[in-house]
Amino acid sequence: MTLNDLAPLIPLMVIAVSSVIIMLGIAFYRSRAFSGLLTLAGIAVAFITLFGVQGTRQVTSLLILDDYALFYIGLILAASFVVALLSSDYLEGRRENIEEFYILLLLSTLGSSVLAASTHFVSFFIGLEILSVSLYALIAYTRNELNIEAGVKYLVLAAASSAFLLFGIALLYGETGTMEFSRMSSGISAQGINKGMLLTGFALVLTGVGFKLAVAPFHMWTPDVYEGAPAPVTAFVATVSKGGVFALLLRYFIQVDMHAYPSLFGAVAFIAVASMFAGNLLALLQKNIKRILAYSSIAHLGYLLVAFLAGGVMRVTAVTFYLVAYFITTLGAFGVVTMLSGKERDADAVEDYQGLFRHRPWLALIFSAMLFSLAGIPLTAGFIGKFYIVAAGAGSALWLLVIMLVINSAIGLYYYLRIIVVLYAQPGHSEVSAVSSLPLTGSLVLVLLTVLLLWLGVYPEPLIEMIHRMTMRF
Amino acid sequence: MIPLHWYLWLSAVVFMVGVAGFLMRRNIIIMFMSIELMLNAVNISLVSFSRYLDDMRGQILVFFIIAVAAAEAAIGLGIIIALFRNKVTAHVDEANEMKG
Amino acid sequence: MPTAFLPEEYLPIVIFMVIILAFGLGTLAVGIVLRLRRPYQEKLLPYESGNPPVGEPRYRFSVRFYIVAMLFVIFDVEAVFLYPWAIVFDQIGLYAFVEMMLFIAILVVGYVYAWKKEAFRWD
Repeated sequence: MTLNDLAPLIPLMVIAVSSVIIMLGIAFYRSRAFSGLLTLAGIAVAFITLFGVQGTRQVTSLLILDDYALFYIGLILAASFVVALLSSDYLEGRRENIEEFYILLLLSTLGSSVLAASTHFVSFFIGLEILSVSLYALIAYTRNELNIEAGVKYLVLAAASSAFLLFGIALLYGETGTMEFSRMSSGISAQGINKGMLLTGFALVLTGVGFKLAVAPFHMWTPDVYEGAPAPVTAFVATVSKGGVFALLLRYFIQVDMHAYPSLFGAVAFIAVASMFAGNLLALLQKNIKRILAYSSIAHLGYLLVAFLAGGVMRVTAVTFYLVAYFITTLGAFGVVTMLSGKERDADAVEDYQGLFRHRPWLALIFSAMLFSLAGIPLTAGFIGKFYIVAAGAGSALWLLVIMLVINSAIGLYYYLRIIVVLYAQPGHSEVSAVSSLPLTGSLVLVLLTVLLLWLGVYPEPLIEMIHRMTMRF
Repeated sequence: MIPLHWYLWLSAVVFMVGVAGFLMRRNIIIMFMSIELMLNAVNISLVSFSRYLDDMRGQILVFFIIAVAAAEAAIGLGIIIALFRNKVTAHVDEANEMKG
Repeated sequence: MPTAFLPEEYLPIVIFMVIILAFGLGTLAVGIVLRLRRPYQEKLLPYESGNPPVGEPRYRFSVRFYIVAMLFVIFDVEAVFLYPWAIVFDQIGLYAFVEMMLFIAILVVGYVYAWKKEAFRWD
């Protein structure tokens, strides 16, 4: 092991080092500008160094920085850059000493990136815990009653799900004698394997991962945490934390072929269908924007699992494109919520948005674009993503799942359109839409996200080409 | 030599005690202790697998689990103290502002 | 199979445990047989070195106890990584030494942070 072997890890190290520097900085001199700018610079530098990763990409047996990992790390870094920009104005005046927020943000970004690059259960576990331990603190960060309740709920349930995950890892390790993903499949096909123990292990790992992804039936925490967390942190939970875990899940089940286990395949198919229905049907009952988006994210993860179940190269393309679209849309939607939020509470009631078009036409248009993309209306990135998922599902003849997906898209359309109707209705008596002025950085970010959304909706070829090149190696 | 499955049964029983405590108790600190119990059950099985397979990796993972459990406990205590300051309770049913 | 160990090697421990158990129970039994029994009200009070007890026993502890406990747990558990490192230190050379120094340096940054935030100050 030499320093040269560690060179591919430079992007991850940049993130880690910036968080340590910020911590040291806070110890001696508190400066909001210093912490914020260093965070943005750290993420930007890490993003640039991604392009310089060459040579042997496998760093010990724990991590691999192949094109797939680099793509996902890039996506994660971009999303946390947006969250850092959105939160700087949001945190102002909500509590004193907001510098530590950036340390936690960087650390959870690091955890998620480690997940995207890990090829071993040890790095999987460590990445997951770096991510979730920092998330506990981020969710409870502004310390009002709802924050702390959300933090406690996430803490207790996430810690329990980690315990299940670990028990599953222990069983798989005991049966196959290895914790490396690539060697696990040969360990599984060896003689004298206890099938029951193996499937119990898979089921427990799936429980732990399913919790993090918030798929039914492990979705109970999602609406409460989405509602209780500060709006930018909600955006972070919805994108960065799920993106890293999904990247890992996809890598794992490409290396350990899931189709060899009908019962496992059936379990994931059940989870997909349950998530789609639970998410979409429960979203119909909600009156709170954050909760609606929470249930909608459950449904979207269900759609993603449909593509995940399809075989072949197509599935990586479909899943990755859909995740990119989902990231842009979710960040945009929670960005609008963040911008409109007053100091007392977040702008999360549907009434708060009544007649938004009259006060802030641009914001209303941006929000509509995001909702259209979530619903999968043509000309948005969400449509192309859904198209690829349907194509991947149909290509593997998963007709039942595809039909479920189409039915659910129709149900979803209803509640997205309901919000859009409210946006263009007569203005109500809401204090939230009368927020004095919108912060400039946030507005620029939202405009950029909208442009990206429409651009990918009209001209997706460059991104798809890029994803194809990245997945050649699988 | 004590056979492997004895350790596994011990580990499974300790894990189930943890799960039962987690599901049945409503005091958040006791729920947290139950989670620690579950993690320690995992440690038992990892160490016994590791010895049975004559492979150190399982024990290395145990070190990381111990460290992570400590970090989790520290953050958890911090959040529980914050809950206590707001509510003067450690009872999870009192934290029920959000429903639906 | 890893090195087999024989139950006989553990025999002294079993004997030791039996002796401890017998001694503990035996002393209690002797006490019960020999001692006088004169129960009265004051004997049921909690023992406070002869003073009458004041106030409730279940008063709230200062939150600082928890903070100190948290800091202790964190810095204490990190030592778990030092032991395996120390055992194989002579075989793994400079690289691992530098790596461990980095690890400790990061911990020191955390320590400095806690110090500057006055987390170690009691009043």
